[in-house]
Amino acid sequence: MKSPFAYQPRPRPLQLASPGASVAYLGAIVAVAFLYSNPLVLIAAGIAATSAGLIAGARRAVRLALKMGASLGLLIVVVNALVVDRGETVLARLGEWPLFGRVDVTLEAIVAGLSMGLRAAVVLVLGAVYSACVDPDRVLRALRPLAGRSALTASLVSRLVPVAAADAARLRDAARLRGPGAAEVGKAPLARRLLAGSLDRAVDVAATLELRGYSLDAPRPRNRRARSRYDRRFYTVAALLLVAAIVGRALGADDFQTYPAVEIGLGSATLALSALIALSGLTPLRRKPHRRASQPADGTKVPLYGGESSRRRGSGEVARV
Amino acid sequence: MSELAIRRGAAPALALRDLRYAYPQAPRPALEDVSFEVAPGEFVLLAGRSASGKSTLLKAACGLVPHFHGGEIEGEVRVADLDAIAAGPGELAAAVGYLAQDPETQVVSTTVAAEIELPLEMRGDEPADRARAVEEVALALAIPHLLDRAVDTLSGGELQRVALAAALATRPRLILLDEPTSQLDPVAGDELIWLLRRLNEEWGVAVLLAEHRLERCLAAADRVIAMEAGRLSFNGSPADFLAWARNADPALETPAARLFSLAGIDPLPVGVRAARQTLRGMGVAHPPNRSSRRVSDPHPQGPVLQAKGLWVELDRGEDPRDVLKGIDLTIRPGERVALMGRNGAGKSTLLRTAAGLHESIAGKLSVDSIALLTQNPSDYLVRERVGDELPGDAGLAALRVVGLEGKVDADPRDLSGGERQRLALAIALAGRMEGEALPALVALDEPTRGMDHARKGELVKLIEALAGDGAFVTQQVTKATGAAVVVATHDVEFASEFADRVVLLGDGVVIADGPMPEILSGGWYFATEVARVLDLPGVVTPEQGAAALREQGP
Repeated sequence: MKSPFAYQPRPRPLQLASPGASVAYLGAIVAVAFLYSNPLVLIAAGIAATSAGLIAGARRAVRLALKMGASLGLLIVVVNALVVDRGETVLARLGEWPLFGRVDVTLEAIVAGLSMGLRAAVVLVLGAVYSACVDPDRVLRALRPLAGRSALTASLVSRLVPVAAADAARLRDAARLRGPGAAEVGKAPLARRLLAGSLDRAVDVAATLELRGYSLDAPRPRNRRARSRYDRRFYTVAALLLVAAIVGRALGADDFQTYPAVEIGLGSATLALSALIALSGLTPLRRKPHRRASQPADGTKVPLYGGESSRRRGSGEVARV
Repeated sequence: MSELAIRRGAAPALALRDLRYAYPQAPRPALEDVSFEVAPGEFVLLAGRSASGKSTLLKAACGLVPHFHGGEIEGEVRVADLDAIAAGPGELAAAVGYLAQDPETQVVSTTVAAEIELPLEMRGDEPADRARAVEEVALALAIPHLLDRAVDTLSGGELQRVALAAALATRPRLILLDEPTSQLDPVAGDELIWLLRRLNEEWGVAVLLAEHRLERCLAAADRVIAMEAGRLSFNGSPADFLAWARNADPALETPAARLFSLAGIDPLPVGVRAARQTLRGMGVAHPPNRSSRRVSDPHPQGPVLQAKGLWVELDRGEDPRDVLKGIDLTIRPGERVALMGRNGAGKSTLLRTAAGLHESIAGKLSVDSIALLTQNPSDYLVRERVGDELPGDAGLAALRVVGLEGKVDADPRDLSGGERQRLALAIALAGRMEGEALPALVALDEPTRGMDHARKGELVKLIEALAGDGAFVTQQVTKATGAAVVVATHDVEFASEFADRVVLLGDGVVIADGPMPEILSGGWYFATEVARVLDLPGVVTPEQGAAALREQGP
């Protein structure tokens, strides 16, 4: 079965945009997630990432990333709550633990963990959207003239991820098919086997790249792929997000404090910025075909293409509707 | 040799002189004293048993040896007048294309169009030239409909064609193929061979093809080169090769040649057409094919597998698809069943569903205990000692069944390919046996990929032992009624050697089910070479064919 994170070509704006535009757009949301700790802003970034992925058709990738993000976020919250004993509001005193020492669970540590967990989940969802919607071939082509060796490494990695996922699925199946009298597979031997297999695969893929002439220092071809009509939209939204994020920080939109007591700023700057970030998730929406004239008041449909008016264009007359 | 090829240049497409090569730290060379030439536009078949040096030779011809694998090399390798030892694989890419056995590791892009375009882009071709080349090679290989598809949604046959298209995109003078049909069904395999022949004739591409199933491609070849232990053992015409193989290495004989050998007919035929012509010349009539009577059920016991109206849906990343569509199938103890059909017909899905890896969406399936060995036996081997994989009495009993009880302390990586396969089977069997009794059903999925004839013979013996037709490999265990053995396979010749029943699947439904001789002599693609030569109902093996010819007389 194909990994939900593998790139799937679809005729949607995020997939059709040039890699630079897609990366700039998704990267701007990532930047927001790293610039801000305010949970409201992070939730807005999460909404933007999820909407962008769903609109681009990467439903399975988003769903799985959300599940993984929720698990990771929860883990971060729990670990932070156990490890950090700062904060004024003690919710539970758990006594002395081996390694941890004295464990006091505070509300502030939980909220701080929540903020970090939210950030991790947002980045995970954005990574999933990138993986499922941005064509790695086009990214690598764009990178190759800039950094040949890095592009080669990225080629190997991008190809090996789905291959390794398929290998892992096969190994899991084989583990399920072992007779009850055979030794348990165990995670460590399975991981070793997967790693060894991945190295073999990497050698095969590298050999194929060699055979395709990847190591040749060929001249960069002219007239590279035409830019997409969606590029401007993504670049504009990315620039807008970054400028708003930087200005917002200057205006105190990241007003958020966890220790010694929790204070979450919900000022107008924070609310406006959050709304803008959440709305940016609609950027990959496909624009409806633009109708150049209103329909007649009597309700009769005027054909835009292929009807009488269109046919008249071929005879040299200007169609007027 | 085509005229076009001759016009394209007088230099040989490939010239090897006194080639000697040893992999790093190898105790002995993989190639020794190898000298031959491939003329422009020539179609050369490379024959030989497993580990005879065929793959290494192909890698030397495309520059992977020594540039990628290292090791010590002596002698001369020239590809279209380029020194392949001095030049790397990238520089040779314009002159030579290489297609390895496993297509999955030969695609590096996400879409088909990008994959075919990659070598042209690496060469610095302009976009307009690239677009034209992609279109032309896609048309030549009949894959224009695949250009926008993601590579990981393609079947094995489609992937193999895409890899071939990428290798041909730069219009090389020589194409090297390492068992390209090993994962393909008979239809796709034959299509690929004749596609190569057409490219060879129309584009003048020289072809050097390594294959185990010689009956598939001998008729298409201009010349055969045989290898043994890294050295050339034969270099000549296909007809001379068959005469040589009869005495020097009968494992390399094709079924039709073996049929003629056993019947005492000369010359040995290079293919079905030549065999039929010879027989017509001798006045041997070809009676019209008629169905043989169905044999009565020799296995009256209760079924070990029973499927009624079985539907299975799989989601491979695109839309969910019904892979099995209402399968009705009953398998009884001791039966040896060959499960056949095109790539994607549902063979593996049926076995995996029986083993509990997939769930059905409709219908009923009841299975007694089953041990399934999937397509990659190495997936079962995760430890460094055989005894660690199979501890205790249950493990030892399973090792005894497959004849590996003496290898308890061996590292699985040091075992031969056949031994690794038997070890994987033992892992699937372990604990599913009651004492020495086997599970009710043993299933093998495509176990002969990349196997030479000798190893297939060993596998046939193991299957016979599992099914209770003879003593087990160890001679220690015998059973009145063995397990039912179901083998999903594309290899019709192998099926004719082990099966007593063939179930033919087509697009998720059973399209034929009957005694092996009836099914494998009643079609064209899913028929043995002997059946295609003689067209006699129920006659599928060289031995049966020779007996039939002797009965008919000239």
